[in-house]
Amino acid sequence: MSEHIVSSYDEQLDLINSSLIKMGGLVETQLHNSLVALGDKDTAFAEEIIRDDNKIDALEKEIDALTYKVIAMRQPLANDLRTVLSALSIANDLERMGDHATNIAKRVANVKINMPDTPVSEIVNMGENVQSMIKNVLDAFVQKSDKLAITAWDLDVNIDELYLSIYRDLLKTMAEDPDTITGCSHLLSIAKNIERIGDYVQNIAEDIHFITTGEALERKSEKRIKWEKV
Amino acid sequence: MKSIKIKADNLNVHYGEKQALFDVSMYMEKKQVTALIGPSGCGKSTFIRCLNRMNDVIDICKVQGKIEIDGNDIYAPDMQVEQLRERVGMVFQKPNPFPKSIFENVAYGPKIHGIAEHKSDLEEIVVNSLKKAALFDEVKDRLSDSGTSLSGGQQQRLCIARAISVNPDIILMDEPCSALDPIATARIEELMGDLKTEYTIIIVTHSMQQAARVSSRTGFFHLGKLVEVDKTETIFSNPSDQRTQDYITGRFG
Repeated sequence: MSEHIVSSYDEQLDLINSSLIKMGGLVETQLHNSLVALGDKDTAFAEEIIRDDNKIDALEKEIDALTYKVIAMRQPLANDLRTVLSALSIANDLERMGDHATNIAKRVANVKINMPDTPVSEIVNMGENVQSMIKNVLDAFVQKSDKLAITAWDLDVNIDELYLSIYRDLLKTMAEDPDTITGCSHLLSIAKNIERIGDYVQNIAEDIHFITTGEALERKSEKRIKWEKV
Repeated sequence: MKSIKIKADNLNVHYGEKQALFDVSMYMEKKQVTALIGPSGCGKSTFIRCLNRMNDVIDICKVQGKIEIDGNDIYAPDMQVEQLRERVGMVFQKPNPFPKSIFENVAYGPKIHGIAEHKSDLEEIVVNSLKKAALFDEVKDRLSDSGTSLSGGQQQRLCIARAISVNPDIILMDEPCSALDPIATARIEELMGDLKTEYTIIIVTHSMQQAARVSSRTGFFHLGKLVEVDKTETIFSNPSDQRTQDYITGRFG
């Protein structure tokens, strides 16, 4: 992408861009840390993670203010307009992803919840898959690569499958031992948090497609979970 | 698709040795506003000056190719240039009223083209033209004042009234607002919205926002070539040519 004649315009767009990348990095770390805390059942670490969510929220507000300023002062057009509008949407999605990651930590921080060991490792595995999706979509954003964005989008089908398998296991565990119901319910929510993060990654991939091509991404998952068969 | 009013085919224009337009082909829809954008010297003004054969007065200017208005070749040997200019009015960058009264400014065209037979007809044409140009209410009590005594925006509307007084079907506007403040500009833009119910309007503008606000189709010229012409919305949101995108986003000038 060649530069604008007015260099201060490029500086503003670059700042939006770098703030989004920074925010994406924080979200990736937030999920990673939550998974570590979950695996280790480390309540003290979980408390720390909960506090870190503020940083993500603050960055979202910064990006909102920056985009508002660019729209008011520069009247961006074409790819610039798509970049600025998508920045708002991506920042919003990243903020939601941060909330989901933080929700995991909130459950881990609650010492009264006794979680069974077996499905925890599966959930951490699923979370690590989502974490690599985040990494992929951030790479796509940095490189403004439609191809990488679609690759990240397509990964979500694996997450849905893992979620279905975990869901089944948790139902089975609860049926076999009613004492685990409380712990398993929390794990179900955690698995759902992770699954939702995958959906937000897809949103971001769609935004990247819009930035690079000017068109909405028309894509359907090859597989779809059939809940009636669960 | 709306009906086509003007059609240019493989238009090439030379000023002496220098080629100003290269194979320009585009059409302009009837009773719509078409905007032409592009950096200075890109050929957009040369192009609209071909539409009423204004370039005829420049000796070294040579026009090749074809321009049709309502299907008639305006460069055909039997074309009456005076009649053509009656049908194709023009408004320029700088308001240029004659140093005569407001009334005389508007009456001049109908007089020389022999449109008005009686004095009362002439008065009617002047009043109607001033009304259509949204100027009448501001000047009705001082029609004998000099046209040059008006403000810039009023002068430009006077020039629009003068252009429409001879009952054209096409109005060419070459950067009509570049010397006006934002309020006067908004008045002209609002006026263009009204005028397009009766006239086909072609506007050359350096303001991207103005092209986006007033036109339904936009053409982008660069180095004498028509790079791209499309629906205005497409040009400003997702143009197909990289050069168009670079120009409208301020990446080269």
